[in-house]
Amino acid sequence: MFIRSVERDTSLDAFRAEVRDFCARELPAEVQRKQAMGQHLERHEYDAWLKRLGARGWITGKWPKEHGGLGWSPAQTLAFNEELGRAGAPPLVPFGVNMAGPVIYTFGTETQKRTYLPGIIRNDTWWCQGYSEPGAGSDLAGLKTKAVRDGDHYVINGQKIWTSLAHWADWMFCLVRTDDSGKKQEGISFILIDMRTPGITVRPIIAITMSHHLNEVFFDDVRVPVENLIGEEGKGWTYAKFLLANERVGNVEISRLQANLDALSRLLAETREGGKPLAEDPLWRRKVAEHEVALATVKALMADQLAATAEEGGAPTLMGAAALKLRGTELQQAILQSVMDVLGRYGQLYQTDALHAGWNGELIGPTDSAGLVYEHLYRRAATIYGGSSEVQKNIIAKGALGL
Amino acid sequence: MPAFSSEERQLLNDSLRDLLADKYTFEHFKKVARAEDGDGFSRADWATYAEMGWLGVCLPESAGGAGGGATELGIVMAGAGRFLLLEPFLGTIVLGASAIEKAGTPDQQKLLADIATGKLTLAFCHAEPDGGYARDYVRTIARRESDGYVIDGAKAHTIAAHAVDTLVISARLGSASGPVALFLVPRTSAGIKLAPAPALDGRRGAAMTLTGVRVPTSARLGAGDADLLPAIGDILDRGAIAVCAEAVGAMAAVTQITVDYLKTRKQFGQLLSQFQVLQHRLVDMSVTTEEARAIVHAALQAVDDGDPQARHTIWKAKVKTAQCARFVGGQAIQLHGGMGMTDELIVGHYYKRLVLCESLLGDGEWYLKQLAAEMA
Repeated sequence: MFIRSVERDTSLDAFRAEVRDFCARELPAEVQRKQAMGQHLERHEYDAWLKRLGARGWITGKWPKEHGGLGWSPAQTLAFNEELGRAGAPPLVPFGVNMAGPVIYTFGTETQKRTYLPGIIRNDTWWCQGYSEPGAGSDLAGLKTKAVRDGDHYVINGQKIWTSLAHWADWMFCLVRTDDSGKKQEGISFILIDMRTPGITVRPIIAITMSHHLNEVFFDDVRVPVENLIGEEGKGWTYAKFLLANERVGNVEISRLQANLDALSRLLAETREGGKPLAEDPLWRRKVAEHEVALATVKALMADQLAATAEEGGAPTLMGAAALKLRGTELQQAILQSVMDVLGRYGQLYQTDALHAGWNGELIGPTDSAGLVYEHLYRRAATIYGGSSEVQKNIIAKGALGL
Repeated sequence: MPAFSSEERQLLNDSLRDLLADKYTFEHFKKVARAEDGDGFSRADWATYAEMGWLGVCLPESAGGAGGGATELGIVMAGAGRFLLLEPFLGTIVLGASAIEKAGTPDQQKLLADIATGKLTLAFCHAEPDGGYARDYVRTIARRESDGYVIDGAKAHTIAAHAVDTLVISARLGSASGPVALFLVPRTSAGIKLAPAPALDGRRGAAMTLTGVRVPTSARLGAGDADLLPAIGDILDRGAIAVCAEAVGAMAAVTQITVDYLKTRKQFGQLLSQFQVLQHRLVDMSVTTEEARAIVHAALQAVDDGDPQARHTIWKAKVKTAQCARFVGGQAIQLHGGMGMTDELIVGHYYKRLVLCESLLGDGEWYLKQLAAEMA
């Protein structure tokens, strides 16, 4: 099995050691401390870390060499992510490296590659995703944000929603409607928008986590140069789907699943029922084993997708990504549900203040309990974002089963 | 003998629904829950509940109550769940009142009148930090002194414990192997250190440590040295079925809200409610809610009938309701899509309340284990 062989691949030992040493040396103590407590990081804290990774080209290690990457194999990429997780470093922020970058180097012009890729490689620019709209969620192709050509510019009007980290982003990759005369998929274009352009308003959405991560983004006569268009006008749906397949594979973060399962085991050892650790309870041990079985299966599904991308010019298929995303996100929620089942014994708390640095109140329960409750609540969206589970099933029904 | 006819039960249910639908809006909920200068619940609303007779609905008529049974209590708790009430129902009119009724001296029973009028609020502080859901894990100790007791120990986070008038605290008498007793301790007593913390669903509460807390002999519920653990079991069972009723109210409300939302939201050129896969999901939410309602009703009825198996029926109801709450809450968010993830919609607040109902006083797995042990 591919993933198993990654774990046993001794040729990666030197690389793993290099990443470990680097993390030990360069990961800012404050970032590591906040990660361990499940606290929110500020953009400058991410930057302090990511720029160090970027200076070595490690953010985009898996990109092909001709586009500024290091040409890592899937095995090496996986090993890298694992080592980051073990070192207590935050996972990479996907919008540039997994989403914007591959679209730009696959479908963009030479000028666009020169303009945008270095910022992603070095983490000088932050990206956000202009996909969903209030009326276009599962029916993404029904999007209405309009781009009308006016000389050397498109003039954009409309609204995007659920835009993660738009308040930090320098750029947005955005789906816009350039034609509404034919089939809805055919009038969509893919364009890059400087978030500092006049006419853009970003408004926060507070989630059930009680945190600000999501936004609404409004466009009011926003003028975007024509050279920011990716590929051909009206062909945006093709690029959008390419990106979605990458996004959905990325939605299943193996190292995060592993970290959550590790957290569960730790909580079981720390938590007592009638004075005895829950870890001694055979039913809990059985539950953890069940999660291990599911994780091994998701890793096997992931291996298939990674093998597909490993081929020259390869990309995950929408169908393969759909199956992986479906089961991977279900597992994510199942593990976090078990975490909640243990944490419930501390009195069903959610100390949101503990998610912010500088809080010095009294924490009740394990040190990262607020972070884990946050994670449980946030990942309710895992079966919604990137295309809901219902949409993934439609893709498989149509594409794989011919229904 | 049931104190309420079915017409009277209907009237009680209608009075809750009519008043709360009008007064306890989502905006009101958020304002009360989040008021910086408040306690996270409304004393004015509590006074209204007293006026409506809801707080005394199950208290004896001698205490100014209506003499209702478990079923009437269930109706009130379902209303609390349906409208996400923030006030301390569980601690006061269920657990606290039940403790006084079961264990109190005739003199202490007089306090029940203050519960009915809304003058006295209570929190039942029994669980301890390392005890989990275990009911017999009491490490808090009350040592006799000439004119009373000195209590030392710690109690787990309890909803409303940060702000109620009186804490009902369990402790072992004399030593770690002594019988368990209950004490009525004013929240502001010297030696009680409260650690206030928000619950997941926006209500507030506190964990606490007790260091040399002195109370008079009269603070102890009842007399004699009988171990109150069995009585505490009964009190917690009553609490468990009340929490189930609360969950049923919340499930019914959020299922209806989800049905209504899917009738208005269009994707792919049609209403979401027209997609068969989503219709079936709504049906599952509805049937699941109905299952919980049915078994909770059966358990309440068993209590009112004095059924010797009532305890096991309550446990079964808690197991089933916990499973149902998890499914209904999760699907309510899922079917709302991104909107379900926002603080701005009430759906997420129902989800959180249901998470709490699942685990308050013991989660489904815990009750399943108790059943398995007793049925073996």
